[in-house]
Amino acid sequence: MSSDREKIFSAIRAALDPLPKRTAKPEWKRELIVCNPSGEFSSLKEQLADKLVFASSRYCDSFDQLAETLKAENSTFGYCDPELAPLFEKLDGITFETEYDVAKVNEYTFGITKASAAIAESGTIVLKDGDTSSRMGALTPWIHIAAIKESDIVATIPEAIDRFGDDPSIVFCTGPSKTADVEGILIEGVHGPGIQIGFILS
Amino acid sequence: MKSKQKIDLVARDLTNEVHEANFIGAKMKSERRYAALGRDYADPDKLRETAGLVKQHTLEHLDKYLEQAEASFERNGAKVHFAFDEDTAKKTVLNIMNEHGCKSMVKSKSMLTEELELLHYLEDQGKEVIETDLGEFILQIDNDHPSHIVTPIVHKNRRGIAKSFEREGLGDYNDDPETITRRARAHLRQKYLDADIGLTGANFVSAESGRIVLVTNEGNARFCMAANKVHIAIVGIEKIVPTDQDLGLFLNLIGRSGTGQQLTVYNQFIGGPKLKDQPNGPEHMHVIFVDNRRTEVLASDCREILRCIRCGACLNVCPIYRQSGGHAYRSVYPGPVGAVLSPLLAGNRFPELADLPKASSLCGACNEVCPVNIPIPDLLLRLRDKAKREGAKEAMKGTPNLAMWATMCSQPTMWKAALTMGHTMNHIPTQLIPHPSAMSWQGTRKLPKFEGGEFRKWFKNRK
Amino acid sequence: MSLLHTPPNRPTGKSVQLMTTCLCDAFYSDVAKATVEILDFLGCEIELPDGQTCCGQPAFNAGDWANSRKVIRHAEKTFSGDKPIIVPSGSCAAMIFHGALLAFEKEEDLPAIKAFGERTWELVDYIVYGLGITQWPGKFDAKMTFHRSCHLRGSRSPEAVNALLTSIEGVDLQPIDEVEQCCGFGGTFSVSFPNISEKMGELKIENLTACKPDVVAAGDMGCMMHFGGMMDKQGMPYKRMHIAQVLRDSLKNAGKL
Repeated sequence: MSSDREKIFSAIRAALDPLPKRTAKPEWKRELIVCNPSGEFSSLKEQLADKLVFASSRYCDSFDQLAETLKAENSTFGYCDPELAPLFEKLDGITFETEYDVAKVNEYTFGITKASAAIAESGTIVLKDGDTSSRMGALTPWIHIAAIKESDIVATIPEAIDRFGDDPSIVFCTGPSKTADVEGILIEGVHGPGIQIGFILS
Repeated sequence: MKSKQKIDLVARDLTNEVHEANFIGAKMKSERRYAALGRDYADPDKLRETAGLVKQHTLEHLDKYLEQAEASFERNGAKVHFAFDEDTAKKTVLNIMNEHGCKSMVKSKSMLTEELELLHYLEDQGKEVIETDLGEFILQIDNDHPSHIVTPIVHKNRRGIAKSFEREGLGDYNDDPETITRRARAHLRQKYLDADIGLTGANFVSAESGRIVLVTNEGNARFCMAANKVHIAIVGIEKIVPTDQDLGLFLNLIGRSGTGQQLTVYNQFIGGPKLKDQPNGPEHMHVIFVDNRRTEVLASDCREILRCIRCGACLNVCPIYRQSGGHAYRSVYPGPVGAVLSPLLAGNRFPELADLPKASSLCGACNEVCPVNIPIPDLLLRLRDKAKREGAKEAMKGTPNLAMWATMCSQPTMWKAALTMGHTMNHIPTQLIPHPSAMSWQGTRKLPKFEGGEFRKWFKNRK
Repeated sequence: MSLLHTPPNRPTGKSVQLMTTCLCDAFYSDVAKATVEILDFLGCEIELPDGQTCCGQPAFNAGDWANSRKVIRHAEKTFSGDKPIIVPSGSCAAMIFHGALLAFEKEEDLPAIKAFGERTWELVDYIVYGLGITQWPGKFDAKMTFHRSCHLRGSRSPEAVNALLTSIEGVDLQPIDEVEQCCGFGGTFSVSFPNISEKMGELKIENLTACKPDVVAAGDMGCMMHFGGMMDKQGMPYKRMHIAQVLRDSLKNAGKL
């Protein structure tokens, strides 16, 4: 008896053999899928800031402002990537742990992790497993703060794909977790963050 | 009105509430689609055309790309399985669970698992399975089925959902959508933490790099790969695209086409188990490639339907779907794509679903919005021809016999005689015309007056 | 937003064959007359093949391809030659240059059927893209809506209609909501799915008449027979005209005919 693998491959070949000719792969240029620019931007950082907001994420580039935002959301205890801890320790009135403890899943109200890149055209934050200190830390708190180095901002989606390398788990985050399952009404914060912040490290 | 067609009867008998929910949901998504694509691209048709050709190319070289995908996944440390039919697919999932000693599964949305009825199978085998997509979770507690590919509970309203939550002990009756969502968040969070295996589908597979791509808004697929140690991706063999860069084309189209989002919130590219230094996430990744009659579709003259990326745009724009809702299609895939795919995937049960391709005015809106430019009306027509040739009764119900008409139309003398004789019809009260089509027609419409031959006479005598 | 289905390089000369369509032959003789009058005005020499009947679409859509092919074969023989074939219907035109190719994809005489399609034009497509006329020298004081019949998709007819109508002095062409939605005719569909067909018709009528137009226009008498029949049954007052009638009457109003 042949294996399922063989069955599938022979069924595919039997289906395709009678075709008189087969469709060639179309040549297409990256420009084809790049969004029409809406608005004029002097830098990728400026464009990213605009597009983050368009995608219902938030943009931030000041520690003071971030501390204010967290306090305003009643979010003063969270998780932070140990490598980023020295930078974020200066947040006034905010405390965090650098080792994610699953038992505290509902206590961490924010999570700070590194972004591997950000895409200016779509306001997308790119998380790669290799740069993410804890998948849970980036996913479970109500607020996720992705720390983006300005030099890691790319213009387009194809450029972000160029940087995939051999990382096994890459996530594009374009906005907070959301659903419109109930009567088409948009609700943010389903399983993941209800607030997504892109924090630019200059 | 009387009708012999099942979908027409469902549309007739739908409650106002459900009809409104279906109709408004679909119309809203269609409008957002037009707005998003028009805003972002000067010529969206060029993207649709290119994406269609990329998928058609992949399908017509599927042996090569499937082999490449298999090798890439194995290189990435994932285990690859193949399942020719439904039975093997389900057993493969069960075996993987048993092999890793898994008892409870969290799963994200996958139309393929709906095809397989995987959930019930695993439950029968003593496993706990939790749907984590909010809509799918609600369907699970209600023992209901999705009525739409992207928005599975578009047929439900908040009051019904609130009642179900109350019944399931998720809190007192509260029909505020935000409260419903928060309660599901809290409830499912514990399920993710308790589960030992996560199962996802795949929206795309890159053959080049051995990555599955998952497209979600809620983030549930991320969670299905965060707290547990094993991940299964169950994938239809038609999901493959050649390269990572090709993915950009499809990701730009799928969100805009389905919901009018520039990108769906989360696009995940998963190629293998987690990195060693990553504290969370699966240590094992299994990819199951499932055929389940896809190679039969590939061998048919409707193979273009396998390009489908399940965005739901054809449902949303379809005037018949808007009237009937998804359940009317009596199968996993509703709407125009379902009217083609479901009868084909039904195998020898084709005659039972042969009426689905008839549920279309062939208006072509589905093709016009399809991100991979599937010629859906042409495929519906080919299936109508197939149904007629095979004598599938469901298809022909209510369709007038056109043999006499064809004879008349291929003999000019008969045609001209009929044109003149037609005038006598003007003198018969229309309700007495004994033809079933005319009777059905004139229930809501006035019949036009016969003027047969007048134009020909005028043309001959002009100038 | 639709990719073109129309054949490339169709003949464009002014010596044409007219396909009246079965509906105009049997019910709507004035639409056929209007078509002739505007083609005359444009200086075309019109041949009306006497043996013509129907394009075969009713059986094709019903899934009865064997009977459909019988009718298409007859039509192909009736319209022999190499002149452009002009049809005052987007639906019949699309049947010939697109649908017939499907019905004949496994048939030996596919090349003849293909050649037939490669000469076929929807009327307004022909006027604008065949003859290059983008301004219509007529006059018609009316607020108007236009039903973009579904089988104009995949052709440049919608742009052509828009160009001509908006160029007519006095025409106030109003946009309609949900322009992409079908009116619910669909040939035998309207008979076998009467409930859905009627609901679709209601929505289309609502959109077409929302601005209280003086004239509701369309390029296909199939659609108009269906939603017009509904309007008549309900006693709705709106005047309905085929695009050929609008073009013809506008010339009369301008004293050019």
